Amino acid sequence: MLLQLLSYLAVAVFVLGILTKVVKYLRMPIHVRWELYPIPHEKGREYGGSYFEELNWWEKPIEKSFIGQIKFMVPEILFVRGLYHDNRKLWWASFPFHFGMYLVIGWLALLLIGAILNIAGLSPESVPATFLQSLAVIFGAVGFVLGTAGCIGLLILRTFDGDLRAFAAPKDYFNLVFILAIFLTGLLAWSSSDPSFVIFRDYLEGVITFNPATIESPLALAHIILLSLFFMYLPFTHMTHFFAKYFMWDKVRWDDERNLRGSAIEAKVKQVLNYRQNWSAPHIKAGKTWAETATEEVE
Amino acid sequence: MMKAEKINPKDISRPSEQMVELDPADFMKLPYPYDKGEDEPAFKRLTEDQKKKYEASLDGVLAVSIPKPATKEEEDELVRKFLSGLEKLLTKENNWTFLQPLTLSLEYCAKCQTCNDACPIYVSSGKKDIYRPTYRSEALRMIANKYLKRGGKLFAKIAGNDIELNWTTVARLAELAYRCTLCRRCAQTCPIGVDNGLITHELRKIFSQEMGIAAAEIHTLGSVQHLKKGSSTGLMPVALKDTLEFLEDDIKERTGLSIKFPLDKEGADILLIHNAGEYLSWPENPMAFAIIFEAAGLNWTLSTDLVGYDAVNYGLWYDDVQFARVAVKHAQIAKKLGVKKIVIGECGHAHKAISVTADRIINEEINIPRESSMTLLEDLVCNGKLNLDPKKNDFPVTLHDPCNMVRLMGVVEPQRNIIRKICPQFREMEPHGVRNYCCGGGSGFAIMSSMNFPNWRSSISGRMKFKQILEAFQDVIDPGIKKMVCAPCSNCKGAIREIFNYYNAWEKCGISYTGLVEFIVNAMVDIKEPYIEWPEI
Repeated sequence: MLLQLLSYLAVAVFVLGILTKVVKYLRMPIHVRWELYPIPHEKGREYGGSYFEELNWWEKPIEKSFIGQIKFMVPEILFVRGLYHDNRKLWWASFPFHFGMYLVIGWLALLLIGAILNIAGLSPESVPATFLQSLAVIFGAVGFVLGTAGCIGLLILRTFDGDLRAFAAPKDYFNLVFILAIFLTGLLAWSSSDPSFVIFRDYLEGVITFNPATIESPLALAHIILLSLFFMYLPFTHMTHFFAKYFMWDKVRWDDERNLRGSAIEAKVKQVLNYRQNWSAPHIKAGKTWAETATEEVE
Repeated sequence: MMKAEKINPKDISRPSEQMVELDPADFMKLPYPYDKGEDEPAFKRLTEDQKKKYEASLDGVLAVSIPKPATKEEEDELVRKFLSGLEKLLTKENNWTFLQPLTLSLEYCAKCQTCNDACPIYVSSGKKDIYRPTYRSEALRMIANKYLKRGGKLFAKIAGNDIELNWTTVARLAELAYRCTLCRRCAQTCPIGVDNGLITHELRKIFSQEMGIAAAEIHTLGSVQHLKKGSSTGLMPVALKDTLEFLEDDIKERTGLSIKFPLDKEGADILLIHNAGEYLSWPENPMAFAIIFEAAGLNWTLSTDLVGYDAVNYGLWYDDVQFARVAVKHAQIAKKLGVKKIVIGECGHAHKAISVTADRIINEEINIPRESSMTLLEDLVCNGKLNLDPKKNDFPVTLHDPCNMVRLMGVVEPQRNIIRKICPQFREMEPHGVRNYCCGGGSGFAIMSSMNFPNWRSSISGRMKFKQILEAFQDVIDPGIKKMVCAPCSNCKGAIREIFNYYNAWEKCGISYTGLVEFIVNAMVDIKEPYIEWPEI
């Protein structure tokens, strides 16, 4: 029961922690434009161009390419393309690390679906259930192997590469060792005591139905505890970049939305220009709004 | 002297005479004919007096040149102000302009160092640790985490924030904020989206907006002079009018054309604003604009209002308040004249300042459309509105991409289309377009001339650009073959001019530089004499 409570707590802390961060970023005021090209939603301008290349650009409709953005994001997210091009040495560790993590997330999702189907009355021996479970085995096993290899690679680089070591903190090693322990216990549990991941699926079923399941395998138990703890820890680390990237890319790097007359942007700018700044340098009069500060005579 | 290799961010707090020693022997090698290193000028060292007087313990170079505080109390007060400035940067009232981008960049660096090799300064210097794009960012991040977050001091060691905030740290950060051109090539390679260029920008803002510390050339002689006298060059309206009259005579003499610069013409379609540095250093550029605009029959004007004749906006590099003041002035002048649009001359940072960044400052009734001159010129050249003969530009030409215009604004192809059409021997630098390298003069460096900073700029921050230029011309590197770099940006031209002088590029390689409109006028069929002038040997 304690184990299950830990899992419930983990989900609750994870969701709340992430939501808190999302709300924090969402509540921040509009910022000035600071985009960086290429912007993949610029239709037909893959070389890095913008609508500023059009004569009288403000008179023309902006054509945004959703496909362009997808074409950029999919290889970036799945294969860590940027690192492949700009830091190949790190990519050899980072790619298996991240891809292993995606597969393990997929493994969890497949087990969850299997557990729900089981609760719904679908026999575990039925073709769809067997197929899902087989897929979960592939995702889990490959994910744990890749993740373990990636973690070890990252640890080696962080320890022995002078450039990385110069910036490394105890926290960075702790994070890697923590994640390595999760991958490794998952891998060992699979190879030694749960080759079809039935223990994990049944555990998830127990979590959904509030029926505590007993875990006999110490490795599986360790894996569940570590994973639960990690879910609680993750929202408070820089590893939340998995969602923060949305803000960093869509809301900063690719934010080329124009301030047109009567637009929502115009209204937001009007609002922030009324904030009162409090800077202390001699050329600034503290306590005035930005609109006043920008238009006052300079002494 | 500290060990030159693998300096940690926290080392910035440890007092020492100098963190790194700059030795030209360590710098990135240049191609032929500089490959032997024999033509590398000696690196100018600070005098003992200068070292005694100013804070130079970063790298023995002075850009900001902060006088050493006389007492410990003075030091402590400056440290306190620094921290208060950092705190203000993280509030929406004081920093709505960049709060979200800054917070994200402070919170998400994975310290993977992928950005390092994208930085021309880090690479050109021979990979000095303190010039990593991550170095100053990590130091600032550590200070913010340790001194401004709850429990920051308690967990400083475990979390990797065990930096000491003392005067040594602050003084070195002030100089280090001016060892980055804000080209943001590093941000382009960050797999997460962290922008170390932005962090440098914000660091400069702490010094300027809270402590009143900035490089004199961009603040006192720059944006302050711009707002008070009308131009960062010191050119006042009366002098501008005299200059323009002189340029009209010059146009007549060189081309036979009688052109009068239209001034303060209400209801014109276009308000053209140049970087006023052009009038003084490269007058052939505003002259060429006038020739082209008149030949195309455009309805345009210049402004002689204070600020309205100088497109620069140095605030973009170091101070949001100064930035907003200049941007609003530009827009107000356009509104007063009733023009349909502002066209920005050949000035990269002015392009980005007024078109991109100020788009969320210039609001409501003063929100007059702004357009790049590259786009307008492309229309004139490529749609047959001018009578041009490319054979008149039949010499090797390469194109420099100003970062602010290209990577930071997305104006990539118009200038290329023009050059492709009128320069038969055009060749690209590698890399180019949005992957270009900065000229080395970005973020104010082109106009900064304190102590030995120009030496640093030409030998380190501009080194990668010089390498690219030499590589682009390797097949015609003989000094007997005259070749030209097209740099459609005043600051870039200034930086390139200094690099060429530093390395005697004209004498050794026959390479010179000019803007874009000069090529267009040089190709005009109706103008008999060559418009482009080559340096005298």
